[in-house]
Amino acid sequence: MEKLFISRDSLKKLLDRLARNLNLVAPVKDPEGIIMFGPVADAGQVLLEYQNSTLPPKSFFFPQTERLFKFSYGQEGMALEDMCGSDKRVLFGVHPCDLKSILSLDPVFAGAYKDPYYINKRENSAIIGLACSNPSPGCFCATFGFGPDDGEGSDIMLTPSGKGFDADVLTDKGQEIVASYKDLFEKAGDSPRIAGETRLTVKKLDLTGIKELLDGNFELEYWNQVFEKCLGCGICTYVCPTCHCFDIYDSSKGGCDGERYRSWDSCMFTHFTMMAGGHNPRPSKKERVRNRFMHKLKYHIDRYGLAGCVGCGRCVKSCPVNIDIRRIISDLGEVSRNGQL
Amino acid sequence: MFKRLLEFVGFEPGRLSARWISGSEGAKFAATAQKITDHTRALGPNTKMRDEN
Amino acid sequence: MREIARDLLESGQVNLVIGYGRGTGILRTTPVFIRKPSDAGQLVYNPLCGNNLVKYLLDQRNKEGRAAVCVKGCDSRAVNRLIQDRQIDREKVYIIGLPCGGILDPDRVEGAVDPGEEIKETVISGEGYDLITAAGKYSFTMAGAGSEKCSTCQNHNPVVYDVMAGDPSDTPDIKDDGFDDVRKIEEMTVEQKSAYWDRQFSRCLRCYACRNSCTACSCRECVFDQVNTGWVSRSSNLSENTAFHLIRAFHVAGRCVDCGECERVCPVGIPLRVLNRKILMDLKDLFNTATPGLTPDGERVLGQFSADDPEEFM
Repeated sequence: MEKLFISRDSLKKLLDRLARNLNLVAPVKDPEGIIMFGPVADAGQVLLEYQNSTLPPKSFFFPQTERLFKFSYGQEGMALEDMCGSDKRVLFGVHPCDLKSILSLDPVFAGAYKDPYYINKRENSAIIGLACSNPSPGCFCATFGFGPDDGEGSDIMLTPSGKGFDADVLTDKGQEIVASYKDLFEKAGDSPRIAGETRLTVKKLDLTGIKELLDGNFELEYWNQVFEKCLGCGICTYVCPTCHCFDIYDSSKGGCDGERYRSWDSCMFTHFTMMAGGHNPRPSKKERVRNRFMHKLKYHIDRYGLAGCVGCGRCVKSCPVNIDIRRIISDLGEVSRNGQL
Repeated sequence: MFKRLLEFVGFEPGRLSARWISGSEGAKFAATAQKITDHTRALGPNTKMRDEN
Repeated sequence: MREIARDLLESGQVNLVIGYGRGTGILRTTPVFIRKPSDAGQLVYNPLCGNNLVKYLLDQRNKEGRAAVCVKGCDSRAVNRLIQDRQIDREKVYIIGLPCGGILDPDRVEGAVDPGEEIKETVISGEGYDLITAAGKYSFTMAGAGSEKCSTCQNHNPVVYDVMAGDPSDTPDIKDDGFDDVRKIEEMTVEQKSAYWDRQFSRCLRCYACRNSCTACSCRECVFDQVNTGWVSRSSNLSENTAFHLIRAFHVAGRCVDCGECERVCPVGIPLRVLNRKILMDLKDLFNTATPGLTPDGERVLGQFSADDPEEFM
């Protein structure tokens, strides 16, 4: 791993050149003050520090709506036109929680089953991570075994230090970027890394006993206390960087052609598990709310050995009725110790 | 009501027209159809809420 | 309020009290469902109690017994509206009225408070509130930190209730809502309006939180869940999102009570209230109607007609 340094001014120049030569995706503040990841034409808008974006950058690998292929039926029979393919781009400013979430999505889309749409985007993307200099009070990434300065998952990891950023080059892709813009990078200096201290301030919740409790108890009285206030909207799943459920639809204007697309689906929606014939194994909000937390705290670990939650706090901030995974984790801890709350 | 709502979100005035014409008001029907056609043509193609598929 | 709840549950008049409870962090309150008199202590009421709890009454429609619900002024209009729509039975609901001088907007308060603290007491002070915590006092004015919707509040006290928990608020009701927020957009040119709403609707995730939090949205099967009919697809692009919001606004037209929940819950900050208020403004203009939900036997504006109705389509 090569350790380099990039000054603030040089970083701005780097972003400027990346925006012109490739596609640059970075966090910006829109006119209403909302921080989102988006394609950037003017590198001056890019935020070099920010606490949390409203939405995670997962939509650049797994878009809300993705067209899969076009179909048309003509005289030669059925023709399909593949719509897989994306341009090369660089994602800048991805915090460790979001880096971890992409690593968490990899086994889903590029594990046993290879999803070409995801893989294509993943291969065409380079990620410049950014350590958090000022974690939000709602963050709790430390709970899941990493911290606000952990660069795993990025190609180059930037950590604020001195008059710029320490740049750890972690992969070959990162090496390529450094090689293409080597006039902007310097040797690493001695300034202390700011994010090292923040590691101590981020909350680390206690997960002891929770997985075991959930493994052995599908029916827990506890869920009865949680589900009633849920509105059944899709906010938590849509702002979550690790949620990945989708539904596939065909759309056609009644003629001989159309296209197949997929779009995000939420386990909180009533029809999520509705089957042909009308049976719904998750008929009420209770089953659906329980499913969400089981997935985050158990199922994802069972399937892939990786935590389903990265502690970014977006669901906590955005849930209209304050269903808080941190509260659920601490409640489940108590249930596992005392049998009940 | 819906016309006003559409104009509020940026459709050009007159993009949506609603007229109540009886079957026996043939001339009025023809004249209205002509007027609306001319107006819409002058507005040009609609740019909002187009089918993006 | 806690006493009222406890008494209601103990006497068996109701078997459920829906109210506000302490949330996680100073800025949050959360809906609570109290069934045991001993749990009544969980109820709280402070200027951060923004949720409209009336939506939960729809879950209780077919259950046995009576439910009590805590409502502020804006929320109480929703109760009337649901009764008029025959969605709930008046006899099955016990309304605990809460006086409200306006709620604070958590986003505007966020930077000024330590989220770990807890509100011990709220004191109405001048044009705002003092929030007393163990560590000290935070003072906010409605002008500086209040929710935008409260600046046009016409009902600081509930319009319908079985009991009031506390003395009525003496903050004056706004009688003449100028709909400034709507007019500001109406004054834009066609291109400006189009660009403004395009920017707003492009952010929409189609999470349906606005629909799920809306008391007027009570359809058993929403048209947006019926994917096979092809009215609106599930894909999120500007065109479909625009259609979704226009259709939903029109479906609730005449029944929207302007409680503001749609805008409060939106995770990407789309100004949805303005859309519904535009329709409300037009209703008042065309049909001279009052805001829906002001009285229990109010009219259903778009569900009736009179010979004097304006006929712009003739």
